[in-house]
Amino acid sequence: MQAVLEAVVEPRRREILRLVRVGEASAGSIAAHFPDVSRPTVSQHLRVLRDAGLLHERREGTRRLYRTRFEGFTEARAFFEEFWDDRLAVLKVAAETEQRRKDADRDR
Amino acid sequence: MPTETAEPLIREIDIEAAPETVFEFFIDPAKLTRWLAVEATLDPRPGGVCHQVHEGAGPEHRRFSMEGEFVEVDAPKRVVFTWGFSGPDAVVRPGGSTVEVTLSPIDTGTRVRLVHRGLPAAAVADHSGGWTMMLARLAEAVRGA
Repeated sequence: MQAVLEAVVEPRRREILRLVRVGEASAGSIAAHFPDVSRPTVSQHLRVLRDAGLLHERREGTRRLYRTRFEGFTEARAFFEEFWDDRLAVLKVAAETEQRRKDADRDR
Repeated sequence: MPTETAEPLIREIDIEAAPETVFEFFIDPAKLTRWLAVEATLDPRPGGVCHQVHEGAGPEHRRFSMEGEFVEVDAPKRVVFTWGFSGPDAVVRPGGSTVEVTLSPIDTGTRVRLVHRGLPAAAVADHSGGWTMMLARLAEAVRGA
């Protein structure tokens, strides 16, 4: 999950995911969308996205073609489950402490 | 907009406290800030604001603004509020998802059932990229928390 989050934190990587969400694009045409970014940097972004499972990569001759891999995002669900589990565990401790305080006040 | 919506996320936890006690932790800012947020502005009635500030655990302590709205408030049984983030770079629509909390009395206290609806399954399907932004913000907010 951490890899997915790290991958989407960078705005250009989110932009790349949007570019290839409906169809495949080559590394070259993706790079052409970012004239202000060096080609090695774009390649690095593509690698991070691929390694996080968010991009599907295939080779055609010398070209590399990319498309968004939506399955990669199902892990996002696990992130939310963990978020709420963590928060609710804290709620449990806080509410039980509060209840004991109320009970003590009432018994006084 | 080809946004997929995932099955609702459902979590349950049993708490050894009365439903009235637990309920306060959702509608009282002083109590909500003991478990979910660092600041809260709450107007617990339908249409009332449910604004929570979450703080990142990173060195910069970045703050993230959850701009929700109460949909249902039925003390001490049920509270529903919308959940979404705002900010200069946030494009997720506040109101994009909904958190439903139901409190049931049990022998030992209260069973809390939390249902988070409207979480899109495929973030990048969203033109705005809001879902990924929201995840990034949440990740920052809970990291090391």
